[in-house]
Amino acid sequence: MEPLTSMGILALMGAAATIAGASEDLESDVGSQSNPNSQVQLAPQMMYPHRIYNKAVSGEPPSNALMCAIGGTTASVLMSTGASVMLALTIGSIIAAVIHGTYSVTSYIGRTASQKRFKQPLYLDLIRTHTPVIMGYAFITTFCILVVSYLMITAMAHPFPLPLLAFIWGIAVGAIGSSTGDVHYGAEREFQNVEFGSGLNAANSGNIVRKAESGLRNGIDNSWFCSKFGGPVTGIAFGMVVFLTGWITVVFDPSISETMGWEAIIAGAVIVLLLAIWNRKIEVDARKAYGPYKKDEEEVAA
Amino acid sequence: MIDIAGIIAEDFLNIAMITLGGVLISLGVHFVPVGGAPAAMAQATGVGTGTVQLAAGAGLTGLVTAGFMMNVTDNMGLIIASGTIGAMIMISVTMLVGQWSYVYGVGCPPASAKVKYDPITKDRQDLYVSQGTEGHGIPTASFVSGIIGAGLGGLGGSMIYFYLLSIENGLPEADFIGIASIFAIGLFFVNAVIPSYNIGGTIEGFHDPKFKRFPKAVLASFIATFLAAIMGVVAIGGM
Repeated sequence: MEPLTSMGILALMGAAATIAGASEDLESDVGSQSNPNSQVQLAPQMMYPHRIYNKAVSGEPPSNALMCAIGGTTASVLMSTGASVMLALTIGSIIAAVIHGTYSVTSYIGRTASQKRFKQPLYLDLIRTHTPVIMGYAFITTFCILVVSYLMITAMAHPFPLPLLAFIWGIAVGAIGSSTGDVHYGAEREFQNVEFGSGLNAANSGNIVRKAESGLRNGIDNSWFCSKFGGPVTGIAFGMVVFLTGWITVVFDPSISETMGWEAIIAGAVIVLLLAIWNRKIEVDARKAYGPYKKDEEEVAA
Repeated sequence: MIDIAGIIAEDFLNIAMITLGGVLISLGVHFVPVGGAPAAMAQATGVGTGTVQLAAGAGLTGLVTAGFMMNVTDNMGLIIASGTIGAMIMISVTMLVGQWSYVYGVGCPPASAKVKYDPITKDRQDLYVSQGTEGHGIPTASFVSGIIGAGLGGLGGSMIYFYLLSIENGLPEADFIGIASIFAIGLFFVNAVIPSYNIGGTIEGFHDPKFKRFPKAVLASFIATFLAAIMGVVAIGGM
């Protein structure tokens, strides 16, 4: 394929992946899923009943992998019957979103009901208002992942079948979402009652913020806040993964010669090195900007 | 009737290399700095997700790049190297963006609570650990450890995929690739789960005292992967 065409397709894949990453993180913030949900789950037991949607279908990677695999399988079946690609990918994503919505409702009701002894109320209006939002985000994530997978198979001639590729990218987007954007939700949004940058003392566990900018805080308030930082950075991360892993083989096409293939590997190693240097720079800058939390006792004693 | 003994004898090299791939994944998972749920609340050093999830996310990204490379070349070195690099890129990006979240979103500098000085940069760590936490963020030693871990995971995963695809059988190509890749993913999960018993939720990387426990997990992975490899090779070879 023409290198320019490949770059265009890769850019499209990167853009779709960026949207998928952002919507994946915001979906997990609206419904409260993955690791930060441990605090939402713990709060009523520490006598802090709240009005936050508490779904944890599973860890984010398996739940996104399930959604994407369902979407990919449905789309594959529809395409094999002669349906158009757009229709097949859309219907696949709708079915995945509906199934995810079912899991969300059952897990919210189940988890909240199990906390009756801690006087945690079950808000039926939360189900009515939050579930469509969760399903909407799930649809966007699944659709974008299916677009990435479909483009990889048809335009880049990847040998894996669509459901499998969607499954793998679902695992990857979930792993990235729970490693990056969730930190903004878990360590900042849930604990805005402690000073910024003071760290979260384990003794504060369960003492999550329950009042919103107006009224009682709910999952939609959380996604509003996280859409300013956590969601976009997750999108950047997943977009970068999809783009950079494809970029090295598009620029240094291994199908031309094996030497080009090895050049692609070297390019990848250089990218990893640059990212490590960038990380070191952030570490040094952060230490300089924020300073230590305590004085050096050895120096004080001297 | 499938000639089981014949298939095992004929493909013994494949079984051995698949087992080696599994062992490499198991070793690699110990290097990946995962802080689990506490890290998502900036209460532990490392990436804020589970061991299996992060290792699988990185390793499977490597499998995607290896699968692509295998489509255009049959050079084993190139295929395995591309799997390694794919996984390394995925984890580097994830750790870097995770670092953005800790530094810019939460306002905590990266710090390890397991060592007083970073073994690579020699930076003081204990002063930068906030009160009541086990560290936060991804210090340089953990970052480098994560790259090594994901590299080993990608290497092992792509080795398994390559040697599964080298088995002779009568399947059409598309079905063969589907079965081999699913089997590679399955073996990846087996070998990502076994070390997580050693890690017990959090590990900072090669400088963490828990890292020394890796021989037990590697042995367990060796046995599990060897048995799974025999089953896989017989199943795929008999088709």
